Formats: sequence, C-alpha cells, structure tokens
Amino acid sequence: MKEYFNLQYHLLNRKIVEIGFSPRVGYSLAIIAFYGISVVLFSSTEFAAYIYPFIPFSIVSKLSGKRRNDFLKTIFSVTNYQKIRVLENLMIVLPFLVFMLYEQSFLMAIILVSISVLMSIINFENSFNYTIPTPFSKKPFEFTAGFRKTFYIFPLAYFLTFKSIHVENFNLGIFSLLLITGAVLSYYSKPENEFFVWSFSLSPKYFLLNKIKIGLLNFSLLSLPVMISLIIFFPNESKSLVVFLLLSYIYILTVILAKYSAYPNEMNLLETMLIGFSLLFPPILLAIIPFFYTKSINQLNPILEND
Amino acid sequence: MIELKDLSKHYGKKEVLKDINISFKKGNVYGIVGENGSGKTTLFRCIAELEKYKGEIISDFEQLKNHLGLLFTEPYFFTRITGKEYIQLLSNARNIKNSTIETQNIFDLPLNQYASTYSTGMKKKLALTAILLQENDCYILDEPFNGVDIQSNIVIVEIIKELKNLGKTVLISSHIFSTLTETCDEIHLLKNGEFIKSAQKQNFSELETEMKQFTLGNVLNKLNLK
Repeated sequence: MKEYFNLQYHLLNRKIVEIGFSPRVGYSLAIIAFYGISVVLFSSTEFAAYIYPFIPFSIVSKLSGKRRNDFLKTIFSVTNYQKIRVLENLMIVLPFLVFMLYEQSFLMAIILVSISVLMSIINFENSFNYTIPTPFSKKPFEFTAGFRKTFYIFPLAYFLTFKSIHVENFNLGIFSLLLITGAVLSYYSKPENEFFVWSFSLSPKYFLLNKIKIGLLNFSLLSLPVMISLIIFFPNESKSLVVFLLLSYIYILTVILAKYSAYPNEMNLLETMLIGFSLLFPPILLAIIPFFYTKSINQLNPILEND
Repeated sequence: MIELKDLSKHYGKKEVLKDINISFKKGNVYGIVGENGSGKTTLFRCIAELEKYKGEIISDFEQLKNHLGLLFTEPYFFTRITGKEYIQLLSNARNIKNSTIETQNIFDLPLNQYASTYSTGMKKKLALTAILLQENDCYILDEPFNGVDIQSNIVIVEIIKELKNLGKTVLISSHIFSTLTETCDEIHLLKNGEFIKSAQKQNFSELETEMKQFTLGNVLNKLNLK
C-alpha cells in the first residue's frame, strides 16, 4: 500500500513537471489557488458551503472510474483495495474539510466525509450499469461523453437558479450559469484520438468552425433554463446576464481553439497561462484568440486535408 | 480447482449468464469460445469477483482473487506509469519482491517508457508479463492473442504450455481457434450465456467444424452484400 501511494506521488510530480513547473512550485501554486478560490467563494455567496463540496466530489468521482477500480480490485486484496480507496478519497477531501471546519460548516463537512467514504466503497458505475441519456448523441462526442461525466452539475445548477430566484440573489443565478460554463469548458480539456479528427472530411478552418458551432449551440441548450428563468425573474439585470453569457461563449470558443492549438498533445503551460491572464485582463483575448486560431490551423493541417 | 455452481448473472432484466455449472481442474488449460456478447468476459469477471452474481464459485483457496492473474481484453494503465513501475506495482501488491524485472522482460518491452505510449499489443504483453511475475496459481486470459504480433503469439502459446506444466489452472478466451487447440485440454462453447457444447482434445476438430458451419450459416443468412 505504501508503494502504491509512493507511485501515485511520483505520477503526480510527473504531471506537474509536464505542465511546466517543478513539483515544489506546483504544490505551492496549488495551495495558493486552493486557498484563493476557497476564500473568494465563501466571501462571495452565503451558499458557498453547499457549492464548495462539489469541487472535491468532482475529483473523487474521477477516482471512482470503473476501469480504474476493476484494475485495483484485481491487483490488491479486498481489504487493501478498500483501504486504498478510502484513504485516497480522504486525502483529496482533507483540505476542503479543514476549510469547511474553519468556516464552521459542520453539517456539510460531515456530509462531505460521509459521501467521499461512500464513493470509495460503492462503484456507482458498476452498481447501476445504466447509460445516462443525453440530447447530444447526434453530434458526438465532447458533449455526449462530457455530459455523462458531469451530469450531476446540471441539476445542481438548475437548483441554484431556483434558489437564486427564491432568495432574490441574482449573483447566485450568475454562479449557476458559470457552473455550467465550467462544466462545458472541462469537455475540451483532453485531446481526442487523432482518428476522430482525421475522420472529418473538412478543412481545418471548417473543422474548427464546426466544433465551435456545436460547442456554442449545445452550451446554449444547457444554459437555456437558467437564462430564461433569470431574464423573467431579474428583468433589470438582463444586460449583466447577456454580458456573462457572451463571456461564456468567448471562453468556450477560446478553450476549443486552445485545445487544437496544442493538438494532438494536451494543453500545456502556455495555453493555460494565456487563458489565466485573459481572466485577469479580458482585452488580451483579442490577441489570444487569433493566436490560438492560427496555431490550431497549423496543428490540424497535417491531419486534415486543406482543400 | 475452480468450481462454478448454478452461476447466473443479470444486467437489469437481461440474463447474461444462465445457471453455469462447470469445474476447472488444477493444471488444466480451458478455452472458452463464443460470439461477441456471448458472456465470456462476464464469466471471467464473475470468477475474478468483479461482478456480483447468483450461485457459487468454489475454489481451493480462501480467497480465489488473491491467487488469480487476470489479463483484461484492454488492460488499464495509470497515466504516466512506466512499464517497469507497472510490473513493480503488481508484484508489490502481492508482496513479491522483483529485483530482476529487466532480465524477466520476456517480450523485450521498453520498460522505462510510459505504458500509455505502447501499442495495443505491447500493452497486452506488459500486462501479461506483470501477472506472470506475480506467480499466481490461476490465470484468466481474456483474448490474449488479440493485437499481438505473430512472434509474441508463439511466445504466449509456449507460456501457456509452461503454466500447465507448472500445475497452474488457465482459462483463455480467444477467437483464434488454432491457438486454443494447441494449448487447451478442453474447449467450451458459450452462447447467450450458456455452455452449449464442450470438447476434449480429441474432439476439437469436430467442435471447430460445427462452429464454422453454425457461424457461416448465420452470417450468410444475414449478410446481404451488394
């Protein structure tokens, strides 16, 4: 078991080095980012305690993947497997738990620990063996696969929208829109197999336009209930709402271009830093978007026929 | 010995395995053949305790899975794990100290490279090497020959024969009948979750002919090439 955790530590260090940092810098930045996000979230909404646990849950759910767990089950004894799964889930949850205790969200802290332990014991994918239906199957694949991975985000986002109307808190409504945007952005984090690009009989330019069109359309579909509800119940805030919607569109477009600018590799330090800078200083997008676009065309040219 | 008694498995309303009764004896090699979706992998997953099932699985061991090496059709690898680390992980999990991994690299794999960069066949060979070094008593090899080059196929056949000589129990599924006839003591045909035919070594050719006729009959009826 000790060797397993040692190995995981080495694999994580490799990931940090690949992003472009030394492990020490990487861990320091992660701590700063964790603290910053936690403080901002808890200071910006009174519902932070309900939203916050979804961050560790989304990480923990990645460890609950069927293939990963089947593999662990076959190599470790039943007892060791269960110990490993409980321990790794608790290690992820621990910093969030400490912050929740600091914020005196005791009930949610208990729920956080209980659910993460439960998620280490029960493999939901195995237990239900059920294919989550999606409205996106005709336009594969990012939204079909992504929706199934993040399906729990949408009821939460819609519930938060309902709650924002109920307590007349427009910011909470905006947060629910941003939650959907975040989920959609995550669909473009990993590069697909080259075959899925090669099989398109489109030039790089039209391939990218097609990807952006599908991305924006599907995002609009997912965010429609939030948008309509907020426009009806907060008519005075329509302008702000449209600004946030446009920002979401722009970032979805940027991330799609960033993904293919690094393709077939995963987005790296350069892409991540440029997107990070743009969050601090949005006008920089005017330079970043054409840069990503040109780079994407260059990366896609060898795979797609440029008619 | 591994004995399956009235083993059934359902996925929702669909019955994938129907009252399977069979024994796999120590030191014997068993081939399981059948169409895609006939239940071969589910049967293996039940034996490896990866699935819940109805019925009983009895073995000589207190916990069969601790003595079982399972080669998945598509082995799983952590991202950024090297071949050597993968083998070490599997050995450590069974408390086996392997200091001579390089010399036991039977397929000459680039063990210092990330396993994710390996081809399909190389991944399978790495996974097979790792479970062999675990010194298990039973082996389940799900499609071990798929995606593997001819030379390695020959090596795998020889490994299976050697496992038999060492008194290990081996269960193999494969679509390549000739590799099974060469290695197996018995071949069982699985269809819609039931064993519908079995053959001992002397009757393998009969089983193969029957399978071919059955399959070709079905295919030609369905196929409407234009």
